[in-house]
Amino acid sequence: MSAAQMTGPESWVDRHGDALYRYALVRTRDASVAEEIVQETLLAALQSYSRFAAQSSERTWLIGILKHKLIDYYRRISRQSQFRDTDDEQFEHDELFQQEGEWVGHWNFDIAPNEWHITPETAIERAEFWQSFNNCLSELPARLATAFTLREMEQLDSEEICKILDVTTTNLWVMLHRARAHLRNCLQVNWFNLAQ
Amino acid sequence: MNIFQKIKQETIFFVARRLPTCKELAPWMSESLEHKLPLRRRVILRIHYLYCVWCLRYLKQLRLMRKAAHYHSSPDEDKPAAPETTLSPEARERLKRALSGKNE
Repeated sequence: MSAAQMTGPESWVDRHGDALYRYALVRTRDASVAEEIVQETLLAALQSYSRFAAQSSERTWLIGILKHKLIDYYRRISRQSQFRDTDDEQFEHDELFQQEGEWVGHWNFDIAPNEWHITPETAIERAEFWQSFNNCLSELPARLATAFTLREMEQLDSEEICKILDVTTTNLWVMLHRARAHLRNCLQVNWFNLAQ
Repeated sequence: MNIFQKIKQETIFFVARRLPTCKELAPWMSESLEHKLPLRRRVILRIHYLYCVWCLRYLKQLRLMRKAAHYHSSPDEDKPAAPETTLSPEARERLKRALSGKNE
């Protein structure tokens, strides 16, 4: 019997391994961490396999367990990285705004947001776009990258994210602003300006 | 520049100098993706977008990044083309070994 026809734990790695791995890799941006979380997921799944009632597909069930393992991971890294608000400020990129003169605080025209000649649909299909996206996200301190990931990838609501990161809503909004400001500028400099 | 253009420009400058700057508005734009802002802030942003093409782009780009991140992180089943990243053969073996070790 080929792996594709089998069901049950013996075939999980062959049938779902890559999908679980990709799901974790996008979020952790680290191959060995992603592999580790997939392993934790499969072992946890094995323990609760008897309770898997086949009401959902095996894949959906495994992804559900993986999501829990990822939340544990986010909690861990947000606790590990120490909170230094002043270090995070640089990611707002003050240099993009005029420092003096009549229009102080307004965009510096040479490096202000330029037109991105791309639709989300075409950007999405380009592997190099994701490479840049991941690199830009990785430049952020772990806490900021995690806030962004929880909001825009896990798509959790503010309340849940605040619990995981142990911050107030106002803190979270500042963190998201910094993460987005950096990501946007980084993508403009490293991808959109070069891709044109 | 004729007199009407001059008046229009001066009016825009007059308003722009009295409203918050782009730097002050950037956090609001990000926050507007999180919840509906209070009326006062929404009005200020609306007026600002009328004369500031850069902030309008900024907002559009924040939205694009959100859309892209949603797509990027969705499970394979929801994507038109499956991405090419796969487990390395070694990682695959390690996972199988870990599983079978516990499954006996």
